[in-house]
This record gives sequence, structure tokens and C-alpha cells, in this order.
Amino acid sequence: MTILFIIIILAIFAIFIGVYNRLIRMIEAVNNNERQIDIQLDRRYKVFESLIEVVKKYMDYEQTTLKDVVALRNQAQSAKASGDDAARIAAENGISKIASGINLVFEQYPDLKANQNALQLQEEIVSTENKLAYSKQALNDSIERYNAEKKSFFQAMIVSLCSSKLDKQFVYWNLGGADKIAEKESYTVKL
Amino acid sequence: MADTQPSTDWRDVIARNRRRTYFVMATFVALYMALGFIIDILYQSPLVHAQLLQHNINEPAPLVTAKLLLTGKLFPYATVSAGVVAFIAILITLTFNNRIMLMGTSYRLITPESAQNLAETQLYNAVEEMKIAAGLQFMPKVYVIDADYMNAFASGLNEKSAMIAVTKGLLEKLDRDEVQAVVAHELSHIRHQDTRLILTVSVLTNLMLLIIDVLFYNLIFSRDRRGNQGIIVVIILLRYLLPLITALLALYLSRKRELMADAGAVELTRQNEPLARALIKINDAHSQNPELHQQAYQQTAHDELRQAAYIYSPKTAGISSRPGFSSLWSTHPSLQQRLKAIGYKG
Repeated sequence: MTILFIIIILAIFAIFIGVYNRLIRMIEAVNNNERQIDIQLDRRYKVFESLIEVVKKYMDYEQTTLKDVVALRNQAQSAKASGDDAARIAAENGISKIASGINLVFEQYPDLKANQNALQLQEEIVSTENKLAYSKQALNDSIERYNAEKKSFFQAMIVSLCSSKLDKQFVYWNLGGADKIAEKESYTVKL
Repeated sequence: MADTQPSTDWRDVIARNRRRTYFVMATFVALYMALGFIIDILYQSPLVHAQLLQHNINEPAPLVTAKLLLTGKLFPYATVSAGVVAFIAILITLTFNNRIMLMGTSYRLITPESAQNLAETQLYNAVEEMKIAAGLQFMPKVYVIDADYMNAFASGLNEKSAMIAVTKGLLEKLDRDEVQAVVAHELSHIRHQDTRLILTVSVLTNLMLLIIDVLFYNLIFSRDRRGNQGIIVVIILLRYLLPLITALLALYLSRKRELMADAGAVELTRQNEPLARALIKINDAHSQNPELHQQAYQQTAHDELRQAAYIYSPKTAGISSRPGFSSLWSTHPSLQQRLKAIGYKG
């Protein structure tokens, strides 16, 4: 009888350790994915600076765009410093919107599209925005996996036992605005 | 095998792939040693037969030989050397993995600096983007193969040797989204660690064949043919027997791996149309010009190495890459199955 009791205790202990370790791994994965977004945001800012330098020769409209980007970037940086995730996400999403605007401008200028350097630069913006979107997607996926694990039955009891270590509140990043969704809905297959 | 109860989570696939890679190696060594054992019996039983006749024992000589070999009273030369050869083959596979997979093609490593045109920059960027989406901690090497047919494959044993190769034809005929979908498919193979299993199976089934082919052609074109009659017979036998035997290794390849990689690509890019369009374009190109493609594949030396790894198997369009040699079983699902599995209604 006592042996059975000991076995049950040991089993519960083993499950506890297993769940604890898995949750810690998931939290670290989320943290890592957050760093990845920071890297991509920094990279994007640098790409933007050089991009606007090039496009400036073609359009005077870019002077204000540059100011907008710098202003939004500053907003994002100060929001990050004060720990306000929502404001930071809003500011960075504002820059994304400008980026898709620049891509639209590209489509309107035929001689821009014929310019090899401009095409390389356009690829640079597309790829930069993609990298940012995919790093957000990876972050959201890891948050989803963590939240699902955390809130499942049994795991939730363990989380409440050591909530300081295991209970984190992560904010989902918004994957593009409403215009992106509309763009996907109106998408047609070109063959 | 585990295929009857397939898991839909690629994290379980990793464990299964790792297990199967070891099984493939063990099967490979076992097959070779079995072959060696048969040679031992054939070679040594005449001697045993003579001995038995001398002592007036009426027992079948091959059986007695087998018994003597197993109990260690006769030394199984062929079995041991076959085992050693198999072991060396595995070592070669592990050492030269990617170079063997790219063998026979002319290929170029793509980096941001070495990209020669927009398409190559886009290819490299697509790999980088998918790497981020998959949360991989390492960047696979990117190669462009100088060939006109449209195909792609991934390979590699581990993080250091992970690679994705795309043909020039594919890069020229697909748009950015489609290239990205193909890259996502290949990256899923890497993430699922299919590459390790496919690499092991592909190289081990073909490596000995490569060596025997070299010997075979050496013999055919060598002038001095006197005295090697026995060796010629053995080499010709092995040339046609070994592919049959080692084709058994292909049984370890799950038919589901391509579907899983397609699903992985949709999971990473969050859309199925580009992948569907890419698959349809690749399929159309192959089935509209079967002769041209057959020629192109056959002119690429050692293409059978890459057959199991390709995103699109030319066999799906009835194109065989090796004249007179068709694989015993298909390794890829049909286009319709694949489109249906990713939920594409064209």
C-alpha cells in the first residue's frame, strides 16, 4: 500500500516537472521570437533610410514620408522604453502602412519599375516587410502554443502554484491592418 | 510501421524520422551482410561438399556450410567484407552528404553578395523569410542548379549541412510568391528532418551502384579482358541485383512526407494558392514536354540520387531519369492528391 502511495507521489512529481519544464521552454521561445522582431524592426528602419534617399530623386512627396517614419520610429522607441507594448505595436504598424504605400507608388511610375536599382530596392522593402510579418507570425504562434498549454486542464493548476515563474501575459502582434485582409480577399489567381 | 497511425504534428515526425534513419542504416548493413553470407555459402560449399564425400556423410552441403559459418568454424570472409563495405558506405554518406546529393549537376552557392540577378536575390530572401517564419536558428545554404527543368530539393544531415537547391528553370518560370511557396515546402522538409532520412536512403541505395557502374564501364572499355571473366560476371550481377535489394530501403520513406511538407509550407506562408500554382506550373511543364524533360534529366548525371528528394517527381509525368531502370514504387503522391490535401479548388 505504501509502495503504491510512493509511486503515485513520484508520478505526480514527474508530471509536475515535465509540465514546468515545457512551459519554461515555451516562455523562452516567445522571448526569443520577441528579440527576432526587434532585430527585424531595426533592420527595417535602416532599409527605409536608404530607400527614401533613392526614391527622393523621383518624387518630392518623400520628404514628408521620411519625417513620418522618423516620428513613428521615435514613438515606438519611447513606448518600448516605457514598456507600453500596445503603443509600440501601433507605431510600428504605422510604418508598415507607409511601406505598402511606397510599394504602390512604385507601381505607378513606369521608369522606376524599369530601373534595376529601384527593383532591387523594392525587393528589399518587400523582403523586409515579409521578414517582419513572419517574425510576428512566429511570435504569435509561440504565444498561442504557450497560452493553450497554460490554460489546459491540469497544467493550469500547476501554473497557479508557481504563477510568478509560469504565468506570463504576452501581447499578440497585429499581422497587418484591415487593408491587408481586404487585399487577400480580393486576391485572384493569375495563370 | 507507424504510417498506419500518422501523426499530424510535425514534432512527432522528427522523432520518427530520426528512428527510421537508424533503421535504414541497420537494414543497409544487414542486407549487405546477408548478400555476403550467400556468397560465402556459394563459395565455400564445394569445399565442404568434398569433405563430406570423403567422410561419407550424406547431408546437404550448403546447409552444413551455413552451420559451420554461423558457428565460426569457417571464417565468413564475404560476410565480414560486405559488412565493412556497408560501414564504409555509411561513413562516406555522412562525410560527403551534400556533395553527393549535388553530384552530376553544375551548381552555384547563392549569398546576398553572389546573387547575380533579382530572381536569385528573391530566392535568398525567400529562404531567409521562411527561416524566420519557421523559427529556425540556422540559415540553410542556398544553391541554384544550372538546369532548364523545374525542380527543387532540400538536403542535409544537421543544421550545419542543411541546404536548399533550386533549378534555374524553376527560378525563371515562377514568380516571387511561388518561389517562396517552394522554398517553404523545402524548409518544411528540413524542419521535419525528412532531409536526413531521404539523404541516407538516396545515397545508400545509389552509392554502391555508382561505384559498380564505374567498375563496369572500366571493364567494358578496358582492352585486357582475359582472366577477369569471373569478376565481370560478379559485377554484372551486382549491377542488376543491388538496386533491387537496396530499393527495399525506400520502404522507410513515408508516402506522407511530401503531403506533410506541403502542409508545412501552407502553415508557414498562411496561403495555399502560390504553392498550388507552383505545383501546377511544374506539372504542366513536365507533362507538356515529356521527351525534352526526359532528355534533360537523363543528361544530368546521377539524377537518381535526387529522385526521392525532389519537390516534384518526374515519374509523376511518366518521365524516368534512368533508361531501363524504373523504381519499384512511387515516392510521391499525385498532383491531384497534393492539391486536394492543401485544400486548393482550382
